[in-house]
Amino acid sequence: MAAADTPSATLRHHDLCSRGIRLARKMRSDVTDLLDIYVERQGLDASISVAAVDGVPAAAAERWAEQTGTQRLLDNLAAYRAFRTLLAQMLEEQREQLGDADAELGPALAAVLLQVSAFAYHLEELLELESRGAPAEEGSEPPALPRLSLFEQKLRGLGVLRELAQWAVRSVRDLRQLAKHGPGSGMALGLPESQ
Amino acid sequence: MFSGWSWTVYCLYLFLNICSFEVSGGLVQSCGHIIPESPVLALGSNFTALCILNESCLDFGNIYASQIIWKMKNKVVPKEQYREINITVSSVTFNDTSSLASPLTCNVLADGQIEQNIYGISVTVGLPPEKPENLSCIVYQLSNLRYPMNCTWNPGRHTFLDTHFRLKYRWSRESFPDCIPKSVNNSCTISDVQFFVNLEVWVEAANALGKAESDRLVFDPIEIVKPLPPHNLSVNSGILPTVLKLSWENRISAAVMKLKFNIRYRISSDTNWMQVPPEDTASPRTSFSIQGLRPYTEYVFSIRCMKEDGIGFWSDWSEEKVGVTTEDKPSKGPTVWRTIDASPSPAFWTVRLMWKALEPFEANGVILQYEVTVRAKPPLSHPPWKYNVTTTSLTLKLPNGTYEVTLIAHNRVGASPPSVLLIPSSNSKAPVKNIRTLPKDGKLWVGWTAPNNVLKYVIEWCLMSNSSDCITEWQIEPGNIQGTYLKGDIKPFKCYLITVYPLYADGQGSGQSVKAYLQQDRPSKGPTVQTKKVGKAEAVLTWNHLTVDEQNGFIRSYTILYKTVDGNETAVSVDPSKTEYTLSSLTSDTLYTVRMMAYTDEGGRSGPDFTFTTQKFGRGEIEAIVVPVCLAFLLIVLLGVLFCFNKRDLIKKHIWPNVPDPSKSNIAQWSPQVPAKHNFSSKDQMYPEGSFTDVSVVEIEADDKKSFSEQDLKPFDLLKKEKSTSEGHSSGIGGSSCMSSPRQSVSDSDEGETTQNTSSTVQYSTVVLNGYRDQTPVQVFSRSESTQPLLDSEERLEDHAGGSDGTTQRQHYFKQNCGQDETKIDRPFFERAKQIISANEEDLAGFAQLQISGQSSQPLGFELEENTQEAALPDVLQTSIEGQTVRSETMEGNVPSVDEMPKSYLPQTVRQGGYMPQ
Repeated sequence: MAAADTPSATLRHHDLCSRGIRLARKMRSDVTDLLDIYVERQGLDASISVAAVDGVPAAAAERWAEQTGTQRLLDNLAAYRAFRTLLAQMLEEQREQLGDADAELGPALAAVLLQVSAFAYHLEELLELESRGAPAEEGSEPPALPRLSLFEQKLRGLGVLRELAQWAVRSVRDLRQLAKHGPGSGMALGLPESQ
Repeated sequence: MFSGWSWTVYCLYLFLNICSFEVSGGLVQSCGHIIPESPVLALGSNFTALCILNESCLDFGNIYASQIIWKMKNKVVPKEQYREINITVSSVTFNDTSSLASPLTCNVLADGQIEQNIYGISVTVGLPPEKPENLSCIVYQLSNLRYPMNCTWNPGRHTFLDTHFRLKYRWSRESFPDCIPKSVNNSCTISDVQFFVNLEVWVEAANALGKAESDRLVFDPIEIVKPLPPHNLSVNSGILPTVLKLSWENRISAAVMKLKFNIRYRISSDTNWMQVPPEDTASPRTSFSIQGLRPYTEYVFSIRCMKEDGIGFWSDWSEEKVGVTTEDKPSKGPTVWRTIDASPSPAFWTVRLMWKALEPFEANGVILQYEVTVRAKPPLSHPPWKYNVTTTSLTLKLPNGTYEVTLIAHNRVGASPPSVLLIPSSNSKAPVKNIRTLPKDGKLWVGWTAPNNVLKYVIEWCLMSNSSDCITEWQIEPGNIQGTYLKGDIKPFKCYLITVYPLYADGQGSGQSVKAYLQQDRPSKGPTVQTKKVGKAEAVLTWNHLTVDEQNGFIRSYTILYKTVDGNETAVSVDPSKTEYTLSSLTSDTLYTVRMMAYTDEGGRSGPDFTFTTQKFGRGEIEAIVVPVCLAFLLIVLLGVLFCFNKRDLIKKHIWPNVPDPSKSNIAQWSPQVPAKHNFSSKDQMYPEGSFTDVSVVEIEADDKKSFSEQDLKPFDLLKKEKSTSEGHSSGIGGSSCMSSPRQSVSDSDEGETTQNTSSTVQYSTVVLNGYRDQTPVQVFSRSESTQPLLDSEERLEDHAGGSDGTTQRQHYFKQNCGQDETKIDRPFFERAKQIISANEEDLAGFAQLQISGQSSQPLGFELEENTQEAALPDVLQTSIEGQTVRSETMEGNVPSVDEMPKSYLPQTVRQGGYMPQ
């Protein structure tokens, strides 16, 4: 906590939160664009309803406002680590399906994957500032995904992207809360601000 | 299977190696080696190589390290660099590897003479990599999602070695694959970067001699983005004619980057851009309204963007978009001016109103028409004239007076403010002074000293040319200035006549003019010089002024250059206003070449050469010689004449002795001395003495029909007097002649036989037998043709005889008798006859004068000519003319006696006694 009390740590915290927010916004924007590309390339209907996908963390939280900053960071980190794995698998599956012929979907997926990684990096940095340290990824690594059919892969990918878009929104709000209260706010951050 | 085949090959290789000893006598290969093997060395460092001989070679060939010779590319390394470490090892040391050359070989002298190579290595010399400097990165936006990052650096010096550069980047907790440059060594592009995460970037350079890293950069890639410019620009006309709204789309998400903008615009016809104040567009937006534009003007817009906080790079300018503002009413009235022609009648003017079309920024639209109103000022009273025209001029015929002209321009939106021009009846106000011009910045500036209270100025100018008329251009300037640039296409090397008129509220000043050039040049040609007059030592040269088209500037001076064929050229400067010059001090009778140069401020040009030759004599020199000579001659003649006149007595005494006048003689006194011998019987009786050897007989054939009246004889006298003075070529005064024929033979014949002419010939011949004045007498014949009183007496006698005898008869005058020697006489006679002929010819005037008497209608000249022609024949001594006969005294037998010729006429004096010897 001592590190979090220093002015430089506060500045660093604020900078990380600020840039994290912008990254989440960009991620939200890019994922939205990616969803359009994905639906088009995979021949899906944008209005198709996808049930909850296994291994994909849900953005919705029952008592989000009551969460502490660290909890928010940990939830976000877990989610984005999961998205990173899922997106990497999607990218591999996409390459297997379409090869290098699709010059749009693959790079867009890779870009989003990079953003997810970057955001996870942000979260880890913030956790470092919280003197909490990021949990080891190995321990939280989800089990290997089962082999799915091609259509199931497409649906799962659609579900992953939709949930990622939701998480991007939530992450913005989480980081705003963190930025508002500064580093070391291990307690609950109070009522959620209006969007 | 495969491993077995490899083993077989290896065994074969060993066998061949061993055999090589045998084939080459055991001295060639594998007797040693060099360490290090193919080293890479730093340039400038020192280097030591060892050649190690195999033990087997020692035994076999007695080869030792002392026999080793090091060579660099066939060049023996100096022995000083060798060092024998032991019996099998020799080293060579190089203090500077820059002197090394590959291959470096180790050799031995077999049997002390034959050099054999033991081993060789290739040495590579180079430099370790330098630390890459000036690493910088920029993120280019290629699309909405693609942001490659390009980093560049300075690779440092050339290393002469294969050096690899790697661009390394990583987050603090995550590394990424290195970016390896392709084909270059100073830049690399990372295909995609992630914003909002600090990225650590550096460059690593490595080769065989080492490795170097650049300084590390840590940055968020969002801070080095060069975004794509906005696109899909559109321009919409606003409600106001001075506003256009520019809209666009950004290609970078606001979630990624908030943008600020620069908007630039220009008039289509202009190349200069204007820019919207940056603070007005410093916030994210997708449209902007540009204000303060000109109505009815086409504008071009462009926009760019960058990160709102100014960190990063500006995008390129977007594509250009054109928009046009709407029309507005003209902002000002056209400038108007006039020319007045009062030549047909002073009472009426032909006024040509002319105005300039409004500039687009003044017209604010399309001018549809001009409204011209002309109002007469007192004392004239006339309702205003109104005209609507679409051209920019209007010609009116107005009575002489003062007028006010109002001009309004109309476009679709409205009318312009009126322009007013006062046309006074006379330009009585003060003019400008001290008008001057100055070329400046490629334009012609005209300035003046302004009078007071000038409303505005009108500057007129026109291009002066011989080939075209002076087309007047003009411009109006406000009254508070004292100089302006001419607004027009002012050409260099052309003469412009510039006139400035001051306009007052109540009148106008007269125009003041000046000539000017925007830029001067040398004249395009020189004057053609020629001579007007050439003298002995001077020549007057003339030339014509160059035309204004040829001048190319103000002619400042002329220079006349003249020279002789082999002389130096002489230059004379002449005032440019002159067209004539007199060259003086020239050499006479010399060929000169002259040419003329005309100079402007920029130089001169020469005209064609002209040659002339000075005269040998000066003006009046010939007269000065001739006139005195003539005067001297005349003076001498005059003096001679005077001398002769003074000495006339003496001369007369010697040359022209005084002949006594027989008329004053006394026949009684000298009649006894009449010569006794005479062919004429009557005369013989009368003058018995032999004083005369012969007597000339003059026969005068008188016209019987006509008496010698007083009137008839007067012209005859005149004729005789003329003869007496004009017959100097004959025998002369007191001269002698033989066979003297009548000097005058006047014949006058009519058509009829009966018609008689009056012919009279007076001849005096004196035959002096005795010496003259006691001189020794010489037989000469002298004849006198002078107008002696003798003649007068004869004539009087003739008159008397004529009056007594009216019938036609021959009149015999004295004839000389040259009977002493007829043969000798023939020739002189013939010659004298010719003289007579010529004399007769010359005396035609006398005959003509004689004919004036009207006694004959026959042309005597013709008759005379016949007579003389006949007389010219040498063997025809007798000339017969109708009604007149001249006979020679040699025809004595034919001479009738006095009795036989009762009608013959003899002078009384002769009858009375003839000449008396003096």
